[in-house]
Amino acid sequence: MTAAPPSNRPKINDNDTELIEAINSGQTEKFSELVRRYEQKLYNFGRRMCGDAADAEDLVQDTFLNVFRYLKDFRHETKFKNWLYRVAASTCIKKRRRSKFAPERELSLEEFVSGEEPGAAAQVPDWAQIPLEKLLNEELVQTLHQAILSLPEQYRMVVVLRDMEGFSTEETAQIMNISSTNVKVRLHRARLFLREKLKGYFAHGL
Amino acid sequence: MACDNPEHRHCLELFEKLSEYIDQELESETHRHVEAHVAECLACSACLQTLKQTIALCRQAGERSVPAAFSRKLHAVLQSTTKPPLP
Ligand SMILES: [Zn+2]
Repeated sequence: MTAAPPSNRPKINDNDTELIEAINSGQTEKFSELVRRYEQKLYNFGRRMCGDAADAEDLVQDTFLNVFRYLKDFRHETKFKNWLYRVAASTCIKKRRRSKFAPERELSLEEFVSGEEPGAAAQVPDWAQIPLEKLLNEELVQTLHQAILSLPEQYRMVVVLRDMEGFSTEETAQIMNISSTNVKVRLHRARLFLREKLKGYFAHGL
Repeated sequence: MACDNPEHRHCLELFEKLSEYIDQELESETHRHVEAHVAECLACSACLQTLKQTIALCRQAGERSVPAAFSRKLHAVLQSTTKPPLP
């Protein structure tokens, strides 16, 4: 038997399907509804990835322009939201390549292992035991955002997608076009990196 | 922390798996193994708690709303681009 043609693949129906079909059938004025649904999500993704408000705005605009350009090619094989993030992720990576030439730094597990002197009293620090609602304040959120921005981009994107935007390992792998194993490795290192920064903050701040 | 001490090899092996453990992505046997170790090793337990709290903070960090001026500009730009050409 030959492979099934693409049209026989299961189509994923979500809340956006109807709207997308309307846009693709020529009702392009409905595109603004799609923008309304996702502008806030993408803006936050942009702020987390680029930090700077102006860069985030550029990313949102370029992503929607690309979405409009390629919407006819969307085959409903994933949720629209995941496809949208895939477009946003590649738009983001292309943009940043253009703006800076520094090679990406790799994070190794070892750098998180050697941080403390062995034999130090092992106990759960206070900050890990305080309920989140008591811990969270503007300063801490700022510290966290700064820490995320200081991660190398490939790690930053993984932790943003997994722990801030709520995508699964599989979805993150699809969005970034990397393997699930790679997502897990990068995620663990990114989390350890952030944990170090938070430890530093609480060592001086509490 | 002993879990950060390279000499403590067992802890070190677990250190690599803590994220997958938190995300419930380990096979059940390995999951149980980590669980049992963490229950009796204070160093690894401290590691686990700080990592969990880090993740919880990321999840709760909140969203900004889109600046109104940008949203207006965005819709205007996209509207002019997506308008079908006049016949
Ligand atoms: Zn241990």
